Amino acid sequence: MSLASAALTHRMPRWLVRHETILAIILIVALIGLGALNDKFLTVDNLLNQGRLMTEIGLIALPMTFVIVTGGIDLSVGAIVGLSAIMLGYSWKNFGFPLPLAIVFALVVGGVAGFVNGLVITRVKVPPLIMTIATLALYRGLAEGISQARSVRGYPEWFYVLGQGSIFGVPTQLLILILLIVVAGVALDRTTFGRALYAIGANETAARFSALNVDRTKLIVYTLSGLASGLAAIVLVSRVTTTRMDMGMGYELDVIAAVVLGGTSIFGGSGTIWGTVIGLVMIQLLKNGLALTGVKGDATIVVIGLALILSVLIASSLQGRRE
Amino acid sequence: MMGALHAHPSPPLLAVENIQKAFPGVRALSGVAFEVRAGEVHALLGENGAGKSTLIKIISGVYQPDSGNILIDGRRTALSSPDAARRAGVATIYQELLLFPELTVAENIFLGHAPRAAGGRIDWRAMGAKANALLASLDIRDLAADQIVGTLSVGHRQRVEILRALSHDARVLIMDEPTAALTEADVARLFDIVRRLKARGVGIVYISHRMDEIFTIADRVTVLRDGSYVGSKVVADTSSGELVQMMVGRRIESLFPKITVPIGAPIMEARNIVRRPMTRRVSVTVRAGEIVGLAGLVGSGRSELAQTLFGVTPAESGDIRLTGRSVVIDSPETARAHGVAYVPEDRGSQGLIRAMSVLHNFSLAALDGLSRRGFIDRPAERRMAEDGVKRFSVKTNSVDEIAGRLSGGNQQKIVLGKWLANNPKLLILDEPTRGIDVGAKAEIYRLMGELAASGVAILMISSELPEVLGMSDRVLVMREGRIVAEFDRAHASAEAVGGAMMGDNSRVEVAA
Amino acid sequence: MTAVAAVTHAPARGSLLRRFATQEALLALAIIALAVVVGLINPRFLAARNLSDILLGNAYIAVAAIGMSMVIISGNIDISVGALIGVLATLSGSLAVAGAPVLVTWLAPLALGIVVMAAQGAVVAYLRIPAIVVTLGMLSILKGGLISVTGGKWITDLPASFHLADLSIFGIPMPVVIMATATVLAALWMWYSPRGRAIYATGGNAEAARLCGVDPQRTIVMVFALHGFFAGLATLVYATQLRVIQSTTPAGLELTIITASVVGGVSILGGVGTVIGSTLAAILIAEITSALVFVNVSPYWTDAVRGALILATVIVDIMRRRRRAERG
Repeated sequence: MSLASAALTHRMPRWLVRHETILAIILIVALIGLGALNDKFLTVDNLLNQGRLMTEIGLIALPMTFVIVTGGIDLSVGAIVGLSAIMLGYSWKNFGFPLPLAIVFALVVGGVAGFVNGLVITRVKVPPLIMTIATLALYRGLAEGISQARSVRGYPEWFYVLGQGSIFGVPTQLLILILLIVVAGVALDRTTFGRALYAIGANETAARFSALNVDRTKLIVYTLSGLASGLAAIVLVSRVTTTRMDMGMGYELDVIAAVVLGGTSIFGGSGTIWGTVIGLVMIQLLKNGLALTGVKGDATIVVIGLALILSVLIASSLQGRRE
Repeated sequence: MMGALHAHPSPPLLAVENIQKAFPGVRALSGVAFEVRAGEVHALLGENGAGKSTLIKIISGVYQPDSGNILIDGRRTALSSPDAARRAGVATIYQELLLFPELTVAENIFLGHAPRAAGGRIDWRAMGAKANALLASLDIRDLAADQIVGTLSVGHRQRVEILRALSHDARVLIMDEPTAALTEADVARLFDIVRRLKARGVGIVYISHRMDEIFTIADRVTVLRDGSYVGSKVVADTSSGELVQMMVGRRIESLFPKITVPIGAPIMEARNIVRRPMTRRVSVTVRAGEIVGLAGLVGSGRSELAQTLFGVTPAESGDIRLTGRSVVIDSPETARAHGVAYVPEDRGSQGLIRAMSVLHNFSLAALDGLSRRGFIDRPAERRMAEDGVKRFSVKTNSVDEIAGRLSGGNQQKIVLGKWLANNPKLLILDEPTRGIDVGAKAEIYRLMGELAASGVAILMISSELPEVLGMSDRVLVMREGRIVAEFDRAHASAEAVGGAMMGDNSRVEVAA
Repeated sequence: MTAVAAVTHAPARGSLLRRFATQEALLALAIIALAVVVGLINPRFLAARNLSDILLGNAYIAVAAIGMSMVIISGNIDISVGALIGVLATLSGSLAVAGAPVLVTWLAPLALGIVVMAAQGAVVAYLRIPAIVVTLGMLSILKGGLISVTGGKWITDLPASFHLADLSIFGIPMPVVIMATATVLAALWMWYSPRGRAIYATGGNAEAARLCGVDPQRTIVMVFALHGFFAGLATLVYATQLRVIQSTTPAGLELTIITASVVGGVSILGGVGTVIGSTLAAILIAEITSALVFVNVSPYWTDAVRGALILATVIVDIMRRRRRAERG
């Protein structure tokens, strides 16, 4: 990072808050605008529903923030969602696991998938981009092979509470997401673990020489990324009531876009969970607003793609990054 | 300005007069003069920050002077870009070699100006032949034109760089700290090549802080200090002491406030440490209150040893005892837990995180102590940083300032302070005063003395002989991965230590 | 002053030709060995019809891998090529059905491919946005754009003249001709042309390349433009074999293409590799895919095998580089 950019992004209280304030203002303007365009938009029902829909991406975006802050990236998250979803259905139907065990199993699969990423990245020193492109292919392939493209249906009713139910009127998974947002935000901002993430992203060699356990920290964030993907898979299956091998496809785009839009530098060393949350909400609003004005679902990814490129562009020119 | 030497019939290959260059807030060069004649090796000497690298960048077209003249063969020329400099016959060999690891020696030499055959296509055969001719012209017999550069040692790669410069018909060759990463054997080979280049009429600008090399290879030497031209001497007519005085501007003895301190029990006893490829078999003991100086040429393995003792590259065999107990140091975390601290050689990339604040840098190595159950105690952290800033006289506006903005000396103090916050028992310092102004140097020496007095054991790696001789209770000399000599303070003289550093076939006198 | 110090061992001589020949030779060997092994298990694998199906059906991957190899050698990556091929195929088919002259339907994908990729290259080179981000964004723009514009409808009733792939030269089917010619020409260009060598220089050490008079930015734009050309060419080979063009993006296509390049010897870190290797690797991968069917492995395992292949290759490549760096 250039010193100027460092001055901007690491003088924590003032400038960073300002960056998120800008985002928050844009968010509020967008909310008002979309609400004006469509009277169905600003209803509590709709907003809560949007909260439900954005949970899967949101869960993964939290550890993805950690990963990108360390200067890495994880493109395999979508594939891990697919693999975990498949393992949930497969272990329940084919191994005969009781559903709670199958749920735990799916989580473990996600964690192991992320752990493998972290292990190879730290031990063999394969760059994260390349490793996670390769595991993207492998994990998706495994999902396909294990499931033989067959879907699993017919889960017991109680399972759907997670994805479709509400507690005190708030969607269940949204409550989980909010809890984890707080945990992640506090961890990044106030713990030694969080400080280590910033150090590794800013200068990994110096972090190592300062006796920070860089390898263990990286291993943790990639494992968390896998676990979050597993959790998102469980929520997803519970929400749509089936298990399919193509679940999670394209998630990496939404997740990375949310993180980058929220102000985390793609080059590492800066970023906050609060920013990611704002980015997440903005993307969901974008999708919702587009849908309500009649734009078909698939077309929204065009806008997300544009948003991704533009936000990196703006961020990098604001931070004055010139090689 | 250069002083009348001999009457020369032809003008120097390259000359600069009265060069002024300023950057925002800093005057880098003022009134600097320099020249290189054909067949001459002209050394450029000066402390870090003296302006050497700015001058070099002006000569190689990277920067343009604010005022002053550049003369090529006596004619005023503007070197407005690196390309223009290259066309004028000036080539630079940087410390970080700029080669293509996956391509062959021949292609590395000729990339961008490869010989062509019919239709504009690259003539590989001609390229190979030309490369072989260049190799032969410098009598290099252990390098082949079709070898992949990535498989070569640093010494070989440097030769490829030199050949590349020659392929552009360079008449002035600038070498920036060329021996920094070379083994002894490679240094000897380099000097051999330099002599051949001299014989061909190439003028060489040789930047080095190694006095012994200057006296071996250079014909003239120019000293810069704080961006100003101090003077030029014919090497045969001067001495190392005179040059140091020109560089530093004061007598060197006053720089070392050595206090005698009672020496206690051994803090660290390392025996038969082996870590390939650089650490061959080393045994070191450092006692409480003792300052052990570790001298040696660059490439002798000192930093590697330090990093092994600190756990960055753990030892493959051998044992280490700290305060009498046997320990295995397998990571910097473990080393720190046992009370070992390491201030690395490269401040910018290893010691400090320049993008982070002074506050966060100070606490980086002591976070566990500053936190309860993983949560950082922010007020305590701030107090520690503010105390540190005061104790080490770090010149900064506030602890929230970005560390990268501070001067080299202040940055070094932060790195030191960060580790002292842990109250280490053993402090390993790797080139602690490199690139630091003289005032900050004195402060660091004073600090070292205080630490020793409080019972800390200090292992100091340094390439500056005066520093090693001035500060150490004992001097160890390392060469090619082994300790080859040990001197106590009374018997450590520049000749003895310098001689041990060079090995038996050294013909160089190292003046103190 | 004395003669050069005695050398303790002879330098590791590796002539350029010899080194590259190893990788390509290995691949060729693997292709033959696999055919033999599978042929023993199930002789129907070696039927002429099957072998020609493998080649014809996958030639387009080899063609696309030529451009992808160039991109990776230059130190970048592209994951949008699969979506681009989908768009270009739809474009070509739509033009054909709309009655455009045959040459136009063939040249349009080439032109659009060059433009779209060159634009990405410019953003990567001049705006310094990492290639992964640009191509990830572009992937979605292309994919989503295609669906929203066409609604996913199929293009049928393609005129007979559209089917370039049905033609043959001296009895060799067009896809194979295009694959072989493109590979050979590209390989020669990357070996003999200074601009081709500039790709290796840019990927090997961009800063050093600049000092040698190579313009890394312009080289990157050129590489992406070429990549777009080969993507368009691959689209021709692919789309003109189909009777029906689905306006969707073939799933996982970019991964297959990247795998072909990487297995073909193009190091993911840049600076090394050849297009001959990537073509051979593409053939090998196609062969493996078919072999799985003939040894009674469910085709749903193909992607997993491909994923394992790229993972293994990458790990081996990185480990080899590290060992070499530690020695030197």
